[in-house]
Amino acid sequence: MQNIKKTVWRHKRRIYFLVGLTLLLGLAIIVQAFLMTRIVDGVFLKNLSFSAVTSPILALFIILLIRALTDYMSKRIGVSIASDVKRDVRKDLLTKYAQQPVQLAEKGQTGKKVSMLLDGVDEMDSFYSQFIPQVMQSTFVPLLVMIVIFTQHINSGIILLVSAPFIPIFMIVIGIQTQKKSEEKLEKLASFSGAFLDTLQGLVTLKLFGRTKKQKDELEQSSLGFRDTTMDILKVAFTQSFALELISMISIGIVALELAIQLIIYESISFFTAFVILILVPEFFTSLKELGTTFHNGRSSMGAAKKVLQEFDEQDDSIQWGKNEMAQEEVPPTIQLNHLSFTYPTSDFKLHNMDATFLPKQKIAIVGASGSGKTTLLHLLAGMITPDEGAINVQQQDLVTFTEASWLNQLSYISQHPYIFSGTIGENIAMGTTAAVDEKAIREAAEKAGIAPLIESLENQYQTKIGEAGRGLSSGEKQRVSIARAFLKKPTIVLLDEPTRGLDLATEKILQQSIEQLNETATVITVAHRLHTIKTADQILFLENGQLQAVGTHSTLFDTLPAYREMVTIQRGGKQA
Amino acid sequence: MSALQKVIKLMLIEKKDIVIAICLGFIAGISSVGLFAASGYLISKAALIPPFYALIVLTSTVKLLGFVKAGAKYGERLYSHRATFTILSNLRVTFFEKLEPLVPHVFHKYRSGDLLGRVVGDVESLQNFFLRVFYPPIVLLLVFVSTIFFVSFYSLAIAVILLLGFLLTTIVIPALFSLRQVKINGRVRQERGDLSTEITEVMYGFRDLKLFQQLDTKQNQLLSQSETYINEQKQENINKVYSQSFNGFITFIVSWFVLAIGAYLVVNGTLEGIFLAMLVMISLTVFEPAAPMAVFPIYIQESRDASNRLYDVVDEPDIQPSETNISINHLPDVPPGLAFSDIRFTYKGEWRTTIPNLSLLLPAGSKTAIVGASGSGKSTLLQLILKMQQVEAGQVYWDQHDTLTVSGSAIWEQTKVVLQENHFFYGTIRDNLLLADPGLQDDQMNAVLASVQLENFSLDTRVSENGENLSGGEKQRLAIARALLKKGHLWLLDEPTSSLDAQTEQSIYQQIFNQADQDTLLLVSHRLQGLEQMDQIIVMNHGEIIESGSYQELMELEGYFYQMKTLEESLL
Ligand SMILES: Nc1ncnc2c1ncn2[C@@H]1O[C@H](COP(=O)(O)OP(=O)(O)OP(=O)(O)O)[C@@H](O)[C@H]1O
Ligand SMILES: Nc1ncnc2c1ncn2[C@@H]1O[C@H](COP(=O)(O)OP(=O)(O)OP(=O)(O)O)[C@@H](O)[C@H]1O
Ligand SMILES: [Mg+2]
Ligand SMILES: [Mg+2]
Repeated sequence: MQNIKKTVWRHKRRIYFLVGLTLLLGLAIIVQAFLMTRIVDGVFLKNLSFSAVTSPILALFIILLIRALTDYMSKRIGVSIASDVKRDVRKDLLTKYAQQPVQLAEKGQTGKKVSMLLDGVDEMDSFYSQFIPQVMQSTFVPLLVMIVIFTQHINSGIILLVSAPFIPIFMIVIGIQTQKKSEEKLEKLASFSGAFLDTLQGLVTLKLFGRTKKQKDELEQSSLGFRDTTMDILKVAFTQSFALELISMISIGIVALELAIQLIIYESISFFTAFVILILVPEFFTSLKELGTTFHNGRSSMGAAKKVLQEFDEQDDSIQWGKNEMAQEEVPPTIQLNHLSFTYPTSDFKLHNMDATFLPKQKIAIVGASGSGKTTLLHLLAGMITPDEGAINVQQQDLVTFTEASWLNQLSYISQHPYIFSGTIGENIAMGTTAAVDEKAIREAAEKAGIAPLIESLENQYQTKIGEAGRGLSSGEKQRVSIARAFLKKPTIVLLDEPTRGLDLATEKILQQSIEQLNETATVITVAHRLHTIKTADQILFLENGQLQAVGTHSTLFDTLPAYREMVTIQRGGKQA
Repeated sequence: MSALQKVIKLMLIEKKDIVIAICLGFIAGISSVGLFAASGYLISKAALIPPFYALIVLTSTVKLLGFVKAGAKYGERLYSHRATFTILSNLRVTFFEKLEPLVPHVFHKYRSGDLLGRVVGDVESLQNFFLRVFYPPIVLLLVFVSTIFFVSFYSLAIAVILLLGFLLTTIVIPALFSLRQVKINGRVRQERGDLSTEITEVMYGFRDLKLFQQLDTKQNQLLSQSETYINEQKQENINKVYSQSFNGFITFIVSWFVLAIGAYLVVNGTLEGIFLAMLVMISLTVFEPAAPMAVFPIYIQESRDASNRLYDVVDEPDIQPSETNISINHLPDVPPGLAFSDIRFTYKGEWRTTIPNLSLLLPAGSKTAIVGASGSGKSTLLQLILKMQQVEAGQVYWDQHDTLTVSGSAIWEQTKVVLQENHFFYGTIRDNLLLADPGLQDDQMNAVLASVQLENFSLDTRVSENGENLSGGEKQRLAIARALLKKGHLWLLDEPTSSLDAQTEQSIYQQIFNQADQDTLLLVSHRLQGLEQMDQIIVMNHGEIIESGSYQELMELEGYFYQMKTLEESLL
């Protein structure tokens, strides 16, 4: 789905149908004019009796019905094409967003993306539902009308032929402007959405810093900016309508005058011809003018479409996973870090050349100062980001040769900032696994995470509703709910990023025991600040500024690495200070 | 007052533009009717071979009317749209203004994506209210009344047909459609809101959804929601098209009647033939703007839904902050003493009492630590001091003032807060630090960054939404830096260093305590190390204070604190 034309041609059949309808409409308009004239002419000049005009009057009724019907049908087709296009585009865009690697997903503002998916896609509507049917009408109806007028009276035809081309020229010039502006408009709406959502999330912070007023002003600016861009677009459109209106008025006036002169002075045409033309000429201009109105709608909608479709062009180096299925064995695989290096595209931080081997069921601790790259290493292990150089080998093969699903199936990763969804506590724990789970399993997992007593003290227990981002739970409670997710699955590799952060010692102890239990069947890799987690590890990875300083057990590192020794002393020595 | 009335009230601020738009709309409408009438008359007249000057007068009238119409239409559009979009912009800002005091309570009931949907989508849809519901009927009425008045000079019968046609197309048929509309009860607004809510949360929880392989399920869910939304939209659009075409047909029929009756009258001799063409042209023109009136009920309902959805949130009784009479809007710039006396607190909508009864004294300039199990109410206590939540019973005192009488902003002005979870705004480090004080100089900020060991960051470093590109510890340090830069003499620190390694933690505490030397400080902590230097340690459990005293006293007491300390030591 790269361009707008393609989106239209997907619906070829309906487009042809639309053409047919439009031709019918054009014919109806012409027949209507003739019938009306016959009636007026008949009673006004020819002094016919009323019964002589009853059949044209009845025929006129049928023609009007046809006109209303074709109008309805063609608009309806427009609506249904628009719905289909919106459905497809939204689906593709959503898929695109969903396949983004996490790193890209974190880029940009959530509100903007939401705005693209909703407002952007919705804006595309009028291009298909109004613009396309109108383009057809404005092409065929004037053409038919013009032909008929030429057959009736050449001079009037020439007047139209001279003035009509101004209209499309105007529209093209102005349409280009509109489209640019409307891309800008959608952009503004999206940034308003982005800013609003960000402000909403941070409103407590803003209050604490006494900045709500300022933020309100900014939102106001943003909202006014959106208004101004919208008005700019509309002004263009209105000026265009004004010009069209003038052109058509002048031509209608000239035609009318021409007809009058021909009627009186030369007596070269009949009233019949004159009146037919007089009814047809406004129809000619009306459908062109309507194109003018929808043209701006269509153009701005095209702007939106272009903006939305641009999202697809956004290059994404999504991770190229392979096709191999990883054998799902009881025993955890051996994991090797092989000259592993990684840099974030947007920061200077670099993880250097790491080498390590994690044997099955080992307990690994990753240690290092804040910002030294511990979380980054876990992200790499989870396959959320890919190494720039070197590789992670699992079962002697590069991780990326496997499918993503088969790796994630083995894995439980409780990240540093797990997200709790709105819903019940039970649902939040249950999302730890793709398998179906019963209440009992959830309860067990909660117990292991040390959160069961709390949940069970609540009125609705596991059915207790919590808000977005876990509102309604204390921070430690949220932490434990997310850890429970890991206990639900039977993973062979467990990645934990500071699991005991913000927990009291008693709870921490429960958790330690449960993690030990996990360790019986899985390799557990933990980022830890606490000495007691570190001390018992089979291997400690000591990171400093993205460099792996040393790998070893507590006693070897303590003896050989001064930085490590210092860290331990500070943890112990805190009490002497 | 219904929500729609509130919207109208807001709209009326733009009175002037509205009146101008109506006047210009009338001029445009009437001159267009005049234009077509005159051209119809012109042709008929010409057929009778009149004197030439009569034709000149007529054609000039036609042209003049044409110019007037074009100009008036331009003005009408400009003014009506300008008014509309200003109204929408005001509406958004008003909504935010009303929402602000409701935070954080509003999140009990509404999710952010939902609120976003309302402030963008629903407000946007209200443009139809003004552009299609509010003023066009007025213009239409004026044009019709004048036209019918004009026509009545030529033929009463045709004036009556026009009148009937007017009643039919602008009142009877829209009324019938509105009966139908009540039954259909479009859910477009609702569906859009739901979709916005879900999409937003999926984006927020993207990483976890991906890690736990739930993304496919969620995506399908979203797609089926989008499907429902699109179908609702489609249904509504088809409805609109149907109503409009139907009413369009009726207007054709009215013209048809005018023609038929007119012809009959001419044959009869009651109407002069020369006026027939004019009357037909009039009826064709005057009804042109009447056709959209059939869509009126759909727009009314849409607008009502949209405005209800806006005002439902801000008028929601469950989340209104309790009314208090605030008499103090500024607090003295000195370290305060705080006191809780017999407070009780329950979160809104919760059945268990978080803090059953608690009294506590924090003397001015003292340093207090709160320790206790997770979920024991430590953060809640800070929320109460900050007036983010309000006590059910008892008082919280700021010096001698009951905080009920002190405005929230006065308290916030005097406190430096690091919450357990801190928000960072999309922008740069500088943007985020400037929150503390817009007057800060770069070197001041750089110095503070260095003091929290973030010297490797430049002020121009980008911060992603929610600080996603910062490590856990960096976020905490940035939050501390922000607090260090802020003015105030009360420090409220809720586990400010939980993600930091011991080394960094120590040096940062040193910074804080140096700066807070004279100030009152309240620290929530899980680590018991380093609490020796605190004046007072409070041990909480289940919302109650179970022990309190200095480090020494608590150790001697050999109670809960002593046990925790022993546990901690055994783990080292
Ligand atoms: N917004 C809320 N609505 C309802 N209940 C809440 C809300 N916030 C917290 N609670 C509940 O109130 C209790 C106290 O929460 P609080 O956040 O004060 O705990 P805490 O002592 O700070 O714990 P932690 O050490 O985990 O941060 C918890 O059991 C929690 O579930
Ligand atoms: N998404 C990202 N984009 C750019 N830079 C990042 C991103 N995530 C982290 N960084 C940077 O990479 C460095 C390492 O971050 P990482 O999260 O791995 O640290 P950490 O060791 O986990 O620290 P902490 O203990 O504080 O959580 C930091 O300097 C951080 O600013
Ligand atoms: Mg980290
Ligand atoms: Mg807390």
